[in-house]
This record gives sequence, C-alpha cells and structure tokens, in this order.
Amino acid sequence: MLWGECVGSATAPYRTVVDLSGPGYRCSCPSRKFPCKHALALLLMWSEGAIGPGGDLPDWAAGWLAARAVRHTGAKDPKPPADPAAAQRRADQREARVAAGLAELDRWLCDQVREGLAASQQSGYRHWDDIAARMVDAQAPGLAERLRALASVPHSGPGWEGRLLEEYAMARLLVTACRDQEKLPSALRDTVRSRVGFTVRQADVLASATPARRVRDRWHVLARRDLEQDRIATRRVWLRGRRSGRPALVLSFAAAGQSLDGSLQVGAETEADLAFYPGAMPLRALVAARGDTVPGGTPPGSTVAGLLDLYAAALGQDPWLDTWPAVLDATPARAPLPCLRDAAGDAVPLHPAAGDCWPLFALSGGRPLTVAGEWTQRGLWPLTAWDEGGSPVPL
Amino acid sequence: MSAWHDLVTASLIGTERAVVPAAAIPGLSPMDDDTGDPAAVLLDRAALLTAARRAGRRPGRAEPLPTSEPDPRPAVSAAAGRRLARMLGGDHPDLLAEWLRAVTARGLRPPPQFLPVLLDLGRRAGSKDPALVRLVAQAGGPRARWLAQLNPDWEIVLEETLAEDEVWRRGTNSQRRAYLRASRARDPGAARELIADGWAAAGPDERVMFVNVLADGLSLADESLLEAALDDGTAWVRKVAADVLAALPGSAFSQRMTERAVRWLRLEHGEDGPRLVIVPPTGADAAMRSLGRDGITSGPDTGTSQARRIGLVLETVARTPPAAWTRQFGLTPAQIIAMSAADWDASNPSLFMAWSRAALTQGDQEWVNALVNRALTGKSPLTAAEVGALTRLIRHADPRLGAPNVLPRPGPERLPALWHAIRTLRFRYEMLKEIEDDHGNG
Repeated sequence: MLWGECVGSATAPYRTVVDLSGPGYRCSCPSRKFPCKHALALLLMWSEGAIGPGGDLPDWAAGWLAARAVRHTGAKDPKPPADPAAAQRRADQREARVAAGLAELDRWLCDQVREGLAASQQSGYRHWDDIAARMVDAQAPGLAERLRALASVPHSGPGWEGRLLEEYAMARLLVTACRDQEKLPSALRDTVRSRVGFTVRQADVLASATPARRVRDRWHVLARRDLEQDRIATRRVWLRGRRSGRPALVLSFAAAGQSLDGSLQVGAETEADLAFYPGAMPLRALVAARGDTVPGGTPPGSTVAGLLDLYAAALGQDPWLDTWPAVLDATPARAPLPCLRDAAGDAVPLHPAAGDCWPLFALSGGRPLTVAGEWTQRGLWPLTAWDEGGSPVPL
Repeated sequence: MSAWHDLVTASLIGTERAVVPAAAIPGLSPMDDDTGDPAAVLLDRAALLTAARRAGRRPGRAEPLPTSEPDPRPAVSAAAGRRLARMLGGDHPDLLAEWLRAVTARGLRPPPQFLPVLLDLGRRAGSKDPALVRLVAQAGGPRARWLAQLNPDWEIVLEETLAEDEVWRRGTNSQRRAYLRASRARDPGAARELIADGWAAAGPDERVMFVNVLADGLSLADESLLEAALDDGTAWVRKVAADVLAALPGSAFSQRMTERAVRWLRLEHGEDGPRLVIVPPTGADAAMRSLGRDGITSGPDTGTSQARRIGLVLETVARTPPAAWTRQFGLTPAQIIAMSAADWDASNPSLFMAWSRAALTQGDQEWVNALVNRALTGKSPLTAAEVGALTRLIRHADPRLGAPNVLPRPGPERLPALWHAIRTLRFRYEMLKEIEDDHGNG
C-alpha cells in the first residue's frame, strides 16, 4: 500500500493511494484517467526505491482501503426495495420482447436453410450484424453475440458450411429450448436463459449458499485470456479446485484502455469461496471470499482422451458449451498442423487462429510439458505452460 | 458421418430445392420430428447430430518431433527473464544485444519461450547486423538450432555452423562474409591471411567487406593491411580503412593523428587560468593531402574557410586517442572537458562530439564516463547532436554509473532526454547486476 499527498493546482493537496496487491488506485484529483498521473507518479517513485517504509496508514487511506475490501466481497448495502409491481411489469415486458425476438430469429434461421447456405459466402458482415442487432433490440444479448461471431465462419477455410450449419442448428435449439423452457429441469432452464442473455444479479449469485453453488477449495489459477470487442475488454480467468477438481471461470470487464482486474494471477493457488452462477454445467463464478495465496506449481494434466471424455460429459449437461478448460500432459507436434500429442500418441489440434504457437514449441523442445488452455470445436488455444522448474509461462 | 454430410449438402442447396435427408444416430430410435417446415426439420436434425458429433469426437494421431539436444546451461533468474520480456516489448530494446552478450558470457541461457521472438529479430537483422545474429545463435544454443530446423525462416542462425571451406571458394557474397566472420571470431590470424591472399582479386565491394571484417578482433597485426588500404584506388575502401584504423591504439595512424591534434588544439595559460584554443591548419597542400589519405577531407565547399578548417581539427580530434590529451595536458578527462565547457564550448559544442566519437571508437571508458557526467551535470543545454552522442555514450559507460545515488539528479527543468539517459543507465546497471548475481534457475 502506497499513499502520498501531491500539491496540484487545487488549494488542498491531492491525496493518492495505491493498493499494490490489487492493484487499485484512488486519488482525490478530478482526473478521469485511471490510474491518474498522481498514482502513476507514486508508483514510479516506488519502483525507483524512493519510497521508504511508512508508518500507520492515515485515516483517509485506511477508509478507502476498507471501502474497497467491502466492494470486493460484494457486501454492498442493500438498495431500498423498488416498487415490486413495477419490477414485475418490467420483467414481463422483457419476457415478451425476448419471445418476439426468438420467433423472429427462428424465421430467419429457417430462411437461411430454405434458401441455401451457399449464398452466405457472398454475404458481408452486415448479414449477421443486422440479425444480431435485432436480437440486441429484443434484449437477447447472448444470442446476439453468437450471431455476430458467425460472420467470420464463411471465410474460415474448408468445412465452413458444416461449421455454419452447426451454429445455426445450435441457435435454433436454443430458440426452441427457450420457447419451451417451462418443460425443462430448472438447472437446464437457467443454462438456456443465461445463453439467451438473461443475467443474474451478482448479489443473487453471492447470496446463494447451496453446496453446489458455493464451493470452498484451493483454487489453482490455470490460465487467463483477454479479449476486446466493441471497446469492452473482457478477461477470462480459468481456475480449478485442487480438492474438488471442479473447473471455474471468473470474468471481468473494463472499458477499453482501462485496466482489468489483476487479482487472480496465473499460477497462483488461493484458498477461496467461489459462488457459481446457476446452470446445468456451472462454470462461471464470482470470488466470494479469499484467503491466503501461494504459488501453485505444475497442475496435474490429463490425456487427450481424458480431456475429450470430460468435455463430452459437460456437453451432456450444456450442449451449447463451446469453450472448456483443458489441462493436458502433452508434447507439441505437427500432423502437419500444430497439435498436442500425449504419451499414447493421441492428438488434438491447436486452434488455427492461435498461429504457430512457437513459444509453446520452444518451451517444450520436443519433450512433454503441462499445457492449460481453452478447448473449442476448432482446437485447443494454449494459454499457459509450465516449465521444468514448475513456473507458469503465459503463452 | 455420411448422414451429416447429406445434411450439410442439403443445407447448402437449400430446402427449397433439396429433400431433407434422414439423420439416424446409432442407438437412438428415429424421432418423429416432422414439424411441417422442411427447413426447421433440417435444423433440428442437424442440432441432434451436432451434439452427438461434438460429444463423440475421437482424438487424432500424431508422430512425435525429434527432441532438442539438452542445453547444459542453467536458465537466467526469473527477474532477468522478466527484464528480457520488457526489452522485447519495447523497453530499452537497444540494450538487448548487451543483455544477450552478458548472459552468454555468464554461461546462462535465456528462457526458451522468448527464443522465437529473438530468432525473428535475428532473421530481420540478417546481413545488416551479423553480430546480432551471432549473439542470438550463441545465446539460443541447441534449443534455437532445434527451432530453426522446424522453421525455415530461422535458418539464418544455422548458416554459420554450416560454413565449410567450400563456402569460401564457391559461396555467395553473404555466405563468404559469414564464413570470414566466423573464421575471424575463431582465429583472427587465419582470417587475416585469407583476406591478404584474396585482396588482389577482390572487387571494391568485397574489399570494403574485408576491411569491415578486420574491425572485429582488431590488433596491430592488421595494421599493414589497413595502411595499404589507405592507398586503395576506391575512395570508399580508403574511408572505411581509415575508420577502422582510428580504433587501433598504438598504430602509426593514431600517432599521425595525435601529432596533428596536439598542434591544432592547445592549452594556453591566460589571466583567468588555463583555456583551450583551436589553432586551425593554414592549408599547406602536402599536409592536406596526408590528411586526406587518413580519411579526413574538408568536404563540400560550404561555410567560411575558417569554419571548414575548424571542422578538420574536430575530425582529427575525433580520430585521436583521447588518452593523448590526458598525457599532453597533465589533467584528468573531467578537468579537460570542464575547462572546455567554461570557455568557448557553449557556443561551439562540437568538441564534445569529437571527444565522444574518439572515446567510443577507442573504447576509453574513463573518457566515456567523464563525458556522460559532463552531459548530465553541465550547465549549458545540449544540442540535438549532443543528445544523440549521449545516447551512444551511455551504452558504453561503466554500468556502475547507473547504481543508486552515483549520478546527481538533474533538476526537473532539464531535458527529458537527460532523464531518459539516466533511466537507461539505471536499466543497464540493474540488468547487468541481475545477470552477474545470477546463479541460474536450474
């Protein structure tokens, strides 16, 4: 924790606090940059060794730290209850809008197949952007995202038509499942609704205390992937419980150019309570409470067959699952495209868009290593590998 | 499988024209799924098959790659590895070669995950910077050679290890140069003999290459070849030979330069104490011709003749071993540089430039350090050219100048370039200390 006062243009000095463990920044200056120049200056002085050990925190710094701790555990003061009748009215309106949107999407999907997918290769991005935009209007952002991602499929190389048909088919499956959601078991209904784009409030996720939904474990941070779309940066952090073996995904978001949550460092192992979002194959979770953190060493990896078995079992719960955390004991090889090969000679391809993956090959030198990444239909996207010393290497 | 392909084909053509094929899954009884709209039926069957195909995916097969020879050197520490990542990400990239040299000298190896980026740098440097290619190959060791076998783009790092005598006789220009450089690095005398034997038959471009090769591992044994090159028929060969000779202490060339320089730059004791005075040559033809033979010409006719003659003096100082001044004046480098600053140097700062070039060419660390100190603490603002000289000086200064509290902090009003120089010095100090203290990561 660093703190300091900086004489700026205002009469009172700016008060600046930097929490190095987060990192988090707070400054009383009016700057909208984040971190502001005062926090950066404090960090620069610290990195040059110009800040000695301080005494007790001043009250203003301690107060911010306490507020931040509360925010992190999500223990916000409950808002005063809104008018329940109005809330119900809004929820009903949304259901109706989504239902209308789904009916429109169903017609659109059937039109594609009726007229033939061959025409899709001549269609520009607009073709999918338009239907995606209509799903945004219909308050089904999950579906909108799936559809927008399809624009690149016709140009993804041989076999594109099969991949496009798969995605259209799975989209229609989601449409029909959502239409008939009353007939589904509740966990699968939660999955369907979340894939369509209904969100669950963080407070509700954190409030659930059932053993399936709130899991205490030593969580190993396996991998991290940052993506940016529409000026929103998304960070996916994959974890796995040492005791339960359970996978988990922690998402964080930031406006473009702002820093993402860095509290889960790849390779660390942390004793924590994770609160899972509801669903038939719960993956997404929030960190509800955290204890000590230590370096985690090399995680146990599986064989290729083991990975595919686990993924098949997960698909049995959630057929729309397209990204699954993988930890393999394998050797990078070429068949002739880059792939990962296990001791039995079984192989899975590396994701074509992940490129040549040279750092992974360099790290291996033709010998087996443990690799964590995201398994998808098109292949494995490697994110972390562990070197001989057991240190995680981000790829 | 074929059921899926039939579905894909039908969807390509469109259900307006194609019949929806059946999609049976082994072990599942056929479903009553005809909802009336053939397009919807096709999509529902495709969804069923998609889920089944995804869940039922079988592993592929692959043959293993050959394994890399083991590298007995321990890896650098995590801190040094992080610093390499920073440099590859654009933080002080100009110090990368020094990092590689220090790591190799210490018997350590870089973290393997950075080898692809280093090999790419080597490939891009190519024939423009063969020293960097060599550094990458040495630091990369067997793992880099293994990678280069997988990726033909990186074969450039293998070229030297493949060099054979055959290459020297029949190779392309770049192969001959690579061979000669490798030979020079192993045995400077053997390379010198190859050059002496080949000189008469070589064209001008190759003679320039010969002289440049001699610059590595330069010694007095090379002097006679280089002196002969000063009389070469091609101006470019003469120029390069003079530049190389300027870096050779104890040569007749530096003796000639020193004799000229001490005549033209003198210490005079006036009323206000000692001061430096430039006494330019008057331009006797013989003196000018001998100056021209040593690579100094007055250049195009620009400026006053006085300015041109001062230019000749500065060019001469730039080729004079700076230790000559310490001997001649009986003063330390810092005293000499400070004296120049106190007097006319502010209006004519080029003496700083000339000394910088001389100190760098000769690798005179005492002078380099004194010049860096002067630039960072002196009163007069630096010109753009001097900032450029400072940037080169700090890369060769004693890295201990970058230790905490050695250099005075310039005031905030000083140029950002000075701050950059100080940060670079500190970066170098920390970088080399990291490697020096490193006992390897196992």
